[in-house]
Amino acid sequence: MTSNVLKYEGCNYLRQRLVLATLSGKTVKLKKIRSTEDDPGLKDFEASFIRLLDKLTNGTKIVVSETGTSLLYQPGLLVGGKLEHECNTQRSIGYYLEALVCLAPFTKKPIRAVLTGVTNDQVDPSVDLIKLTTFPVLKRFLGTDEGLELKINKRAAAPEGGGEVMFTCPCKQKLRPLQFVDPGKVKRIRGVAWAVRVSPATTNRIVDAARSILNQFLPDIYIYTDHYKGSQSGRSPGFGLTLVAETTNGTFLGAEMASNPKGSEKGPTIPEDLGKDTAKLLMEEIYRGGCVDSNNQSMTAVLMVLGQQDVSKVQTGELSPYTIQYLRHIRDFFQVMFKVEVQSKTEEDEELQTGGDKLLLTCVGVGYTNLSKPTG
Amino acid sequence: MEGEEQKKKHRMRHAGPKAEKKKAKNKHQQELTDRQRNPKAFSIQHVNKTTKIIQRSQDLKAKKHHIPIVDRTPLEPPPVVVAIVGPPKVGKSTLFQCIVKNFTRQKLTNIQGPVTVVSGKHRRLTIIECNNDINAMIDVAKVADLALLLVDASFGFEMETFEFLNICQVHGFPRIMGVLTHLDTFRDNKRIRKTKKRLKHRFWTEVYQGSKLFYLSGMVNGEYQKTEVHNLCRFISVMKFRPLQWRITHPYIVVDRMEDITDPEQIRRSKKCDRNVSLYGYYLPDPCPSPDMEKKRSLNQKERMIYAPMSGVGGIVYDKDAESKPANEFVTSLMSVNNPLDQKMTSSKMTLFSDTAPTSNEKQISFDDDDDDDDDDDDSDEDSDDNNDISDENDNEINLYSKKADNKRKSNIMPKTSNTQDKSKTKEKVTKNKGLDQSKNKDSSDSDSENDSESESDSDSHSDERFLKWKSNLAESAKEFFYKRQAERKNYRKLIYGQDANEEKNEDNQDADDELGGLFKVLKHKKDSASTNRYLVNKTDCSKFVVDNIRDWQLEEVQELIKDCFVTGQWDKSEDAAARLQQDDELYGDFEDLETGEVHTGDNEDGSGSDDNDDEDIDDKTTSGDDGERKKTKAEMTATERRNEKKRKMKEMFDSEYDMKGDTEFYDAWKLEAEQQAKLNRAEFENLDDDVRVQYEGFRPGMYVRVEINNMPCEFVNYFDASYPLILGGLLNVENNIGYVQTRLKKHRWYKKILKTKNPLIVSLGWRRFQTIPLYCIQDHNMRNRLLKYTPEHLHCHASFWGPITPQGTGLLAVEKVAGSSPGFRIAATGVVLELDKSLQIVKKLKLTGHPFKIYRKTAFIQVKKAVRTPEGAFRATFEDKILLSVEVPQFYVPVTSLLLPPEEKQKWTGMRTVGQLRYEKKISVPQKTDSLYKPVERKVAKLMNMLKTLHDHKRKTERSAMRSRAAEHEKKMSKINAMKEKKNKETKKEIYRVLGQIEKRKNKYNKD
Repeated sequence: MTSNVLKYEGCNYLRQRLVLATLSGKTVKLKKIRSTEDDPGLKDFEASFIRLLDKLTNGTKIVVSETGTSLLYQPGLLVGGKLEHECNTQRSIGYYLEALVCLAPFTKKPIRAVLTGVTNDQVDPSVDLIKLTTFPVLKRFLGTDEGLELKINKRAAAPEGGGEVMFTCPCKQKLRPLQFVDPGKVKRIRGVAWAVRVSPATTNRIVDAARSILNQFLPDIYIYTDHYKGSQSGRSPGFGLTLVAETTNGTFLGAEMASNPKGSEKGPTIPEDLGKDTAKLLMEEIYRGGCVDSNNQSMTAVLMVLGQQDVSKVQTGELSPYTIQYLRHIRDFFQVMFKVEVQSKTEEDEELQTGGDKLLLTCVGVGYTNLSKPTG
Repeated sequence: MEGEEQKKKHRMRHAGPKAEKKKAKNKHQQELTDRQRNPKAFSIQHVNKTTKIIQRSQDLKAKKHHIPIVDRTPLEPPPVVVAIVGPPKVGKSTLFQCIVKNFTRQKLTNIQGPVTVVSGKHRRLTIIECNNDINAMIDVAKVADLALLLVDASFGFEMETFEFLNICQVHGFPRIMGVLTHLDTFRDNKRIRKTKKRLKHRFWTEVYQGSKLFYLSGMVNGEYQKTEVHNLCRFISVMKFRPLQWRITHPYIVVDRMEDITDPEQIRRSKKCDRNVSLYGYYLPDPCPSPDMEKKRSLNQKERMIYAPMSGVGGIVYDKDAESKPANEFVTSLMSVNNPLDQKMTSSKMTLFSDTAPTSNEKQISFDDDDDDDDDDDDSDEDSDDNNDISDENDNEINLYSKKADNKRKSNIMPKTSNTQDKSKTKEKVTKNKGLDQSKNKDSSDSDSENDSESESDSDSHSDERFLKWKSNLAESAKEFFYKRQAERKNYRKLIYGQDANEEKNEDNQDADDELGGLFKVLKHKKDSASTNRYLVNKTDCSKFVVDNIRDWQLEEVQELIKDCFVTGQWDKSEDAAARLQQDDELYGDFEDLETGEVHTGDNEDGSGSDDNDDEDIDDKTTSGDDGERKKTKAEMTATERRNEKKRKMKEMFDSEYDMKGDTEFYDAWKLEAEQQAKLNRAEFENLDDDVRVQYEGFRPGMYVRVEINNMPCEFVNYFDASYPLILGGLLNVENNIGYVQTRLKKHRWYKKILKTKNPLIVSLGWRRFQTIPLYCIQDHNMRNRLLKYTPEHLHCHASFWGPITPQGTGLLAVEKVAGSSPGFRIAATGVVLELDKSLQIVKKLKLTGHPFKIYRKTAFIQVKKAVRTPEGAFRATFEDKILLSVEVPQFYVPVTSLLLPPEEKQKWTGMRTVGQLRYEKKISVPQKTDSLYKPVERKVAKLMNMLKTLHDHKRKTERSAMRSRAAEHEKKMSKINAMKEKKNKETKKEIYRVLGQIEKRKNKYNKD
């Protein structure tokens, strides 16, 4: 019964492919993974991710070729429950968490994962950003945020890690369709300025710099400073800022930056620059706008498709390349196409300066139900 | 003065007409209600009784509620499937003919397969006759919306009827209507009445109290009476149907037409080659449209349409060799409007027939697509060999259709790239796409003119240069880039899903911009861009939206761009800040008064500009001061009023939260939500073209589709029998897989045998019928699943088997064999799916015996075996064979392929048989171990024992008598001795007393002295 194998090449979008394969039950074959590079095959963090999927599921068959350049993934059923995973430090926990968030609602038992590794780095969304922007979106699909939690036990910057987070998520039989087309207006900006193994004053410097820009737009700004000490602070120094703009209708737009990791060739980061740049990034995000921010577009799209056979509708800003690819993959795995159109402005709105074009993403769910969760 | 004052007092009339009039005028009225006047009469007299009454009324109310389901039926619903079911010789075919005649006014003598007729302005009926085969009954029960259950009144209910009812129960109960026939065989009316009543009540217990049972009283000229049939049809055409869970989530097609479209040459070469088959089902307006008109009440003759291709009406003549030829205009028109099958259908496997590799249509569709392009530029280049092969093949596939139809289809189909099923084909496709790519580059003008017109930005002929320019622009100025990006309305559909070739271009060029990578990497073997592709394919997997040029948000004009994104900015007119604050004011009362002024002024400032900053300051001060004063005075003035107002608001809030809410508040909200969703579902894609719409939401129920299935076994075509219903069932994504299915199962109480673990069982679950080997188990209190060797008689147990993954809560039906018509009740068990997994834990009970060596009140230490030191509490046990942690469920799954059998064997499908059955059939006796054989018993020992026993008894008897005499003698002796002893005693006593007396005397004497 495994005749429907999807084949891809390369290691890019590995997560998308494996996540969608797990959800759709289709087998995936990846070939030519870094086959021409000096260091061919799967990297450690990818292997770590695959191992995480293996822990999360039951009956998964994974075949990696000897060189590691090809991978056959035959998904099993999602189990969930308690699990601990040591995430490879090449990527931050956000890398793993992004995929986990899409799978967590469909497990047999509510997931309770303890992930260790790097909590904040420059490549992936940090755990703060996921907590502040992804969870509100996820909540709309689940219908509740009971049991939806991300607790940062230890914070750690790249490259050495040593952080720990606990992620819990309830599992559902079905997801609710999403209708979210009015983002409202930004009413407040919140944020977390964090620092580990550097002077606590760094956070204040970041906050001041960020406020210097943000204050020009909105008075209601509060940035928490978060300085971890001792055993809670991981193994390498670092600092960063996560900013989230909350709107009147419950949209959360986020932006963040982290300092250069220890020993990088770019040299040390100046806290003031980081603060200002993050604020600017947030403004870019607000310019793009939409009801979900660019980091969560893809997750929203997946969960919309996994709903009942109803129309789901969401407004977004400019689609990120990652999302575009996700939409393509969704078509491959679920045969669902999104109707993507630029939202036409009414005459009244025409005068309003609300940033870039807003897109409306519409799709019909596939009628996905959680097949693992036992009933009766 | 006083005298003046004293006047005659007015005396009221107490009698007479005046008094009566007055009395009538102000009649005394009881101002208290009955309840107030006599509260005891209304008090709760019996608490328990009242509780029960209220409980009951609430229960009845709650019972009426159904969980609101989003109504997903499209505006033009699919035809209602009416099944005519019953045992043989009960009058099914006659009724079928009568119904068809009633609706269409024409007589159909030889009916085969489903017939679709128009029954009303908005309703069509597909009528199927179900034969007596249990396979057919199961299939029909899965798709029927209404089952007409025919019963021979002269005979009464037969097993088949009950079997069908049970099948229906498992697969979601469709509407059922009983029809009594053969009523004319009764002589007297009384018998008829009695029989009717008896059968009616029996029927009611089976379906529900008060379900409709129809009587067809007699035949006229070999047909049922016209009025009776007409009434029956009226009933059918106004009947309402409830959505069934399985069917609303799983698409299906009742096939009403089948064609073999294999290349005749191929068949000539080998008769048993795999066939390509196209199946038709459901209805688009074409073959049998539902007449949609407003005013008329009845249908006119023209609109009474019928479509029954398998019977040779309204479609094609169907004959044994499965060659089809268009018979009338209907079909030709149908062909030109060919719609490809449901997306979902394509993607999901068609698991009608086990052995065929479940094929989906996608592959073929995409080939068609490519093929067309190839035809356009066949002369172009390199990969002609491959292409030609495939194009040949494809030409054959579509040889029935005109070129026009083909083109149309092409435009309908979205290019699919996935789901390729075997290696070689993928390869072909890859190369072909490559070719296509290049050819597009060369002569894109003709093929893509359409695209050009649609949007300039995406025309690929200029894409290269355009993007390059874009890139340079990018480097020049960020702002311009953004304005430009804003200016060109991107066609997102094309950007995301668009033609493969276009897509490639986009991606290549956005390389620099960023990672629009990924999809059709297979195609990227072009020499010029090889390195970049390689880079893209293996790029870092990152979800971040990397912005290359961050605008300088400190500049004022840049800030202007998003100033209305904030609450401080300008709002829509509908929800202007002022309006909203007004609202707030209403809500929160006077407290907000203070802010109103402030924000109003602030808002005005924002709109007008920054030049009156000073004013603002002053304004602020003054207003705030004013407000403070005003508030204070207000507080003084209207303290009680304010309190009252507050109370009123609180009460309102309380009421809205508790009192005014009806009991059904939650339910109503839920229902409303479902309704709104349904409305949105309908409205969302309403205005789109059908072919675009199909891409977004799949094929709507009610469309007429043609499904092509490749590589079907030739038996399907050769042994096709229209009297067996053919159903294409769609599955959801994960349901293609196979795993362990755990079900709750109960042996049917009418089934004679009990079921044994590991005996093969034929299960009907979801769309499928398959044979599998179940393991029965029961859950103990410690939540362990303990294996059972047999199903319990009257209890539910769990059954686990290896089978298709099906959603929890789906019903299942089990029969031991589908072959033949055995006299008894054939349904062995019914159940429901509980859980699905890829591994299972079923354990066997293990009995250990041991000796208690230390016993306390209720506990004891028991030595089972010699204990080992580590792990603690463990001991080492010995078994005959290696034991397993869990019992293994055999991975056995065979779909029932009864439709592939020749007509005479259709009812004889037997899958795996038990060893017992095989031995019985082959007349092989059970092999026995010589050790276990019984031998005649010789009882030598017993005889000896008997002798010994008698000897022993005799010995005991004599010993006993000897003992008796001995005892008597002994007694005598003892009495003599006793007498002697007594005598002696007496003498000694005498002596003692004498001595004592002497001593006494002496003492007395001494005292006296």
